[in-house]
Order: sequence, then structure tokens, then C-alpha cells
Amino acid sequence: MTKQLWETRPLEIWQRAKELRAQWEHSIEEKDKLVGQGQTYAGDWSACFPAIRVIEDNPVGAKMASDSDEFSRICRLAMESRGWGREICGYHLNCWGAQFLGHQRDGSGFPYRDFVVPFPDVCDQHAKRGQQPMDLSPIPRWQGDYPMYIGPRDAAREEALVDHRVYCLQKELNDIERVFDQKFDDGRYARLIRERSIQHGYMSEVLFLMANVPTPISVKDLYSFYTMGGLTKLAPEVVTDFFRALRDEIKWRADNQIAAVGNERYRWMEVHPPAWHYLRYYRYMEQYGAVCIGSPYTHAGGGAQVEQKPDGTWGSRETVEYPEDTPMLTREDVTRIALTPDARAPYHFKIDEYLRPQSLIEFARFYKCDGALLPIWRGGVGCDMWRKEQARRLKEAGVSVMHYEGSQPGDRTDLDEHGFLDRLDIWMESQGLEKLV
Amino acid sequence: MNQFQEIYANRHDYARAWKARTGGKVLGYIETYMPEELVYAAGALPVRLLARHAADDVTDRQMHGNCYATKDMLRQFIQGEYGYIDGLVHAEGCQWAFHCYQNIINNRPDFFNHYVFVPDYPDARTSKNALRSEMEVFKTHLEQWTGTEITLSAIDRAIDIYNQNRGLLRRLYELRKADFPVVRGSEAMEIMLACQVMDKAEANEKLEAFLEEAETRAPGEDAVRIMLIGSETWDAELEKLIESLGGNVVIDELDNGSSYFWNEVVWQKDRYMALARRYLERPHHPVKDNNWRRRPEHIFRLYEDWQADCAVIAKQIYCHPHGTDNYVVWKLLRERHIPYHFFERDTTLPKAETSTRIESLVSMVKPGVNRISGINKVGMFSSVIPSEPREATR
Repeated sequence: MTKQLWETRPLEIWQRAKELRAQWEHSIEEKDKLVGQGQTYAGDWSACFPAIRVIEDNPVGAKMASDSDEFSRICRLAMESRGWGREICGYHLNCWGAQFLGHQRDGSGFPYRDFVVPFPDVCDQHAKRGQQPMDLSPIPRWQGDYPMYIGPRDAAREEALVDHRVYCLQKELNDIERVFDQKFDDGRYARLIRERSIQHGYMSEVLFLMANVPTPISVKDLYSFYTMGGLTKLAPEVVTDFFRALRDEIKWRADNQIAAVGNERYRWMEVHPPAWHYLRYYRYMEQYGAVCIGSPYTHAGGGAQVEQKPDGTWGSRETVEYPEDTPMLTREDVTRIALTPDARAPYHFKIDEYLRPQSLIEFARFYKCDGALLPIWRGGVGCDMWRKEQARRLKEAGVSVMHYEGSQPGDRTDLDEHGFLDRLDIWMESQGLEKLV
Repeated sequence: MNQFQEIYANRHDYARAWKARTGGKVLGYIETYMPEELVYAAGALPVRLLARHAADDVTDRQMHGNCYATKDMLRQFIQGEYGYIDGLVHAEGCQWAFHCYQNIINNRPDFFNHYVFVPDYPDARTSKNALRSEMEVFKTHLEQWTGTEITLSAIDRAIDIYNQNRGLLRRLYELRKADFPVVRGSEAMEIMLACQVMDKAEANEKLEAFLEEAETRAPGEDAVRIMLIGSETWDAELEKLIESLGGNVVIDELDNGSSYFWNEVVWQKDRYMALARRYLERPHHPVKDNNWRRRPEHIFRLYEDWQADCAVIAKQIYCHPHGTDNYVVWKLLRERHIPYHFFERDTTLPKAETSTRIESLVSMVKPGVNRISGINKVGMFSSVIPSEPREATR
């Protein structure tokens, strides 16, 4: 047994996170709410309707793959036999395969949706989210759009693009009011958008603190928190309190060198979501004293995107926002502020790969990463964007790289789990590291 | 071999010769949402990138697992086959094409490049404003690149030429409505593909001549009439294979087929808006067919209007637009008792396997095909009356 390098202790916020998660899971069981398929991308506006909840198929599909390989395979087969591509992302195939079957794993009926609000994204498959529930049951669907172009921001060009985004979101809200006879609480939405900005501030502080050696929190832990207020829908004030407490605890740990992994001696990064059914590899890597710092995927959502300034210092990337004191007097005001004046915002990880090809190297340098574990997902558009080219660039920057291949983070089909662990062993050993335990 | 087939087969030579002759620039594009009229008005030649089958050992690190067609386009750039192209435009359609575009400009940072945002929600009230704005931005960018002012009269001329081309291609497709079409599916597809790499004014002249000649041809063979649905294509190999097995593609619902010419630019004072509306109102690409669901009914209408006997759905492996939309096409075809065959392909077409499958489809459908062989029906689109009335298939 090797002597521990750093003090470590469990996160105190765990219990609170579990309670909030349970609260959300309980809330989605409520029968008196309309169920929407999609994601509320401009703040959780669903909370501003009296009886609406919105569920995205991504976490549902990932959870299905994790819970039961057998049932998720049946679901995917149901999809393929009806025309869906076998290489389509597993989130789709698992979730909507159950719609064809008409039941869930436990035998209960498939939870049909009442409406669809897909998450606008540069990804084609996101654009088609919720197409099937609309096609196969008589429910309304409201499409949003994700304006995109290459090159520096062009504010004049973006005027019409921003108007388009604002129109799409407003139409969703106005139509849901009309179609379902539910009054939208504009005041609450305005408060929610202000809270969102505060929450992002706390979250980005947490993420930047991961640059500390040792890191006070690993990405394995982070995955339990980062959906709060997003996919895990809660009252905005509750989410703000949670992130403030998380920030306080992580800052204290960083100040006192409390490590997420007691033997941290190797730091690695990733790019896209991991195999959700097989997160045990994070714990496996801890045997080598290796800790995962995260990825542009985990950090972009929290607004922790870094750049090296001309003077060589590191700092947060500047984003374009309306001034803080911009009045929110109408629904349009709030939707504009929620969507920001930047038509391509938020710059999440997929957009970054197009607009900022050097972002992985920046991430590796800022977070002091020794290695990069880059998945090659075949089942998602954008999920394997120039992955091997990025590996080459990272290697040139002194970062050791390993790839692994699989279908998609929500599809177990092609991930060879034992082979994956073997390769991790070889990767670590090739860098002179042996298991500490 | 007609002139279009020659141009299609020697398309790189054609573009090089065009450059040498005119001194103009050649602009490559991937998706057929690209507003070619503006490029043409700038005096440049818009050329659609066409994939082909070739050994590839250069693109894997940049486009691992992508659709093979877009990988091959990148390969052709890396290996210099597209050395004559001066710039690249991506008009938003599918994301693989976006990858291809991004990787090409990564390899060629000196390239002129431009991204046209085409809304995924074409039916929104603001979509036309967004695309109209994009048209104007593109025009300005083109002017900077070519050093040529794009005047209103140049845009009008381009619109006229492109509309004429669309009308002529429609005439070509109308010929295929006949019971015994004088133009085979492979021939029509090669004309389509040639038109996508040619100077449209020249293409129009050749098309006029071709149509005049074609309309005097003797009626074609009696064959099982097939509708082709699926991912974009870059050659006519599948159509030729189908013809060799007793079938004939009489209509398609392909982005590079009927969707390419289906609607014209309707003139209005604001030319950019006219162009925006043309591209938004064309038959929807699967990714852009969402809330109003126009695609299934459009497919059925084509099927009925061209009196197809069955359908072939050919999806590119990894084609996500069609991989996420096929179920609704299958559902439509099944509900309306339309026989169809689905298969996946890449830039190659495995002849033995595909032959077996298509032969099975043709053999299955043929006994049930109903034909009227009366003389007037045969001559519906042809001035030539066949010497002998044809036997009905059965």
C-alpha cells in the first residue's frame, strides 16, 4: 500500500444533492402535470407554467441503457425494425423504442408526451428530437433553431438570427399558454433568468477550482451535481442556494488541499460524455492515482471556458450579454435576455469544436492535464469531430492520448468493457504508472 | 454517351476548362441548399462536390466514422483532385457535410469559405427573414472575394437562368411519367449531376437540345417503375443496376434529384427575400421537416404522379438525417400498401448483394403490375407511335 499523498474526505453536500434529486424524481411522477418532451434551453421556463414538466430523452435513454442492457437492446431493435438507423444515437433508440413497444422496463405503460419542444442544437439528431412522439401521437411540437456560422462574431449579421431565436421561443411560450390554457408567469421567468446568471457564476467558480492540484472535486462527483437546475428541475432559488453551498465547500477544499482522490498524481481530461452505463472506469483509474478533471462538455455548461490572454495569463472567455440592469418589462425582453444577444450562444462543447479548434489544448494546459482519454463515438453527429486530429495536436502539446471506441454514450452495444480496462492499464503503464493498490 | 454523361464523367476537366476560358473562380459546395444564383451573379462557377469510390487512407484522423461520401470529398481535396476549386461554401443541411466543410477549410486555411445558416425550422415566420439576411451577408462576402459588384441585374439574370434550368429539368422528369419513358433513370440522374457542376447557361442550351431529341425517341422498355428515396447520391450506378434487372427509376425524392429543381424563385422586388423563400419552400430535407411534416405527403404525391410500382430506399451508412426520418417513410409506404426495399450503402454499391435484393423486389412486384398498352397511352409524351402495341406485363 502506497502512502496517501493528499488528505481526502467525502463531500458534505452529497446528502443535500441526493435529497434534491429525490425531490425532482418525485415531482416527475406527479400525474396532474402535462409532460413535454425536450429541454428548456433558455432557463427552465417550464417552472413558470402552473402544471407542466419537461423531460429530455437523453438522460432517459442513458438511464435505460444503464438499468438494463436487455431491455435497451429490445428497444433499439424495435426502432431499427421500423426504419431508424442502427447508428443513430442510443438516447433516441432506447427512449423511443419503448414507445413502439408501448411499455417500459417494469411493464408499466409508455409515458406518452403531451407536447414536444426539442433542444435547438447544431447536431442534426437534436434537431429531430421528439419527432417520433409528434408523428405517432396527435400532439403539438414547437421547433427552435440554432443559428450557426463560422468565424468571428458579426453583430450586424446576427440581428435577424437573434430575432429568429426569440420568435421561436416566444411562440413556444405563447402557444403553450393558448393550447393548454395555462398562464405563464412572466415575473417568475424574469427572476429565474436573473438567478440563472448567479448560478452560472457559482458553477464556473467550482469548475475553475478544478485547476488546483490536487483537484477538490473529480468529474465523477461533478456528474452528480451539474444537472441541478437544468435536467434536474428545481425551484430557481433552491438551485442558487445549492450551487452557493457547493462553491463554498469546493473553495474550502481547494484552500485546504482536500483532494477528490487521495493519491492524485496523474490528471486526465476527456471530450464528450462518457459511457453512462460504465462510469466505474473513473474509480478504476483512481487505482493509478489518476483523476479526471472533466472536459469541455462538463465545463462549457457551467460557463467555465478558458482562454489565454495576450499577456499570457489565463482567464474566463468573454461572453456577450445584455447589461445587467436591462429592464425586463415584457415577455420579449425576458426571452431576449435569456437567449443573449449572441446568436450562437451558448458556446457549448460541440460549437466550440468548430469555432475554436484549439480549445482542447487550452483546456489541457489550464487544468494541468497529463493525459486525454478521447472517445470515438460512432452514433452521434458531432461526437467524433476530428477526434484523431485533436489527439495529434494534443500529443504535440505534450499530452498523452488514448482512444476508445463505442456506439454512443447511451448505447452499450459496441463498448468492449474488459478490453477498455485492459487498454487503460496499458495506457497508464506506458507512461510508467502502476497501480498503487 | 450523351454530352451530359461526358461532362459528368470528366467534370474536373470541365471546371478547369471553364476557368481557363473565363478567368473566373470556382466555388465548391456540398449541400443543395446553397443559393447558387448569388455565386453565378458574382461571375463564379458553383460546383457541387461529388463523392466517388476510392481507397482512403488520409481522412480517418479527421472524419472517423463519418458518412463515406463526405469523407471522400475531403479525401479529394487532400489528394488534390479538387485543386481547381478556389473556395467552399456550406449551406446548412446535414452535420456530416458541416464536418466535411470544416475539415476542408482546416486543411486549406487560405481558402475563401462561407457558411450560410439555413434554418432547421423553415416554416417559422422569422425563418425567411433570417435566411434573407444570410443571403445579403453571403452576397457581400462574395463581392469581397471576387472583387465584383453583384448588381441587381446580375442577380435577375442568374435567377432567370436558374429558373430556366429548373423548368428544363422538370420537363426532363415529366418525360419519365410516360408509360414507357423515353429517358431512363440513369440517364436522367447523370444529367442532374452534370447540371450541378456546369455553367447553367450552357447546361440550359444542351438541355434544350437534349429534350428536343429525347421527345422524338421511340418509347422505352416496359420495366417495373421504381421510386428512389434516400440519401443524396453522387452517381447513377444504382439506377443502372436497377435497369439491368428489369426496373427503371422513374422518379426520386433525393436532395440532388427532384428536390434540386422542384420549385422556382418567384420574382419579388426584394430579390434576397425571393431567394430565401425559394430555398425554404423547396421540398424539405429530412432534418428540416419537422412541425408541419411535408415530406411524407410529398413522397406519396411523387409516387402517385409518376405512377411508380414500388420504392427503393437507399440510405448512406451513417446518414443521420435519413436514419432519424426513415420510420415515417416506412410507415407511409406500409399504410398505403406500397412495396419497398430498404438498404444501406456507402460510396460503393456492392453489385452482387444489391442485385439479389433488387431482383427480388422486381420479381415480387412484376406479377402484380398493371399496364394499359393502348396506343394512345404509349404515345402520351412521345410523337412516335410504336410499331406494335406492347403486351401488358400481365
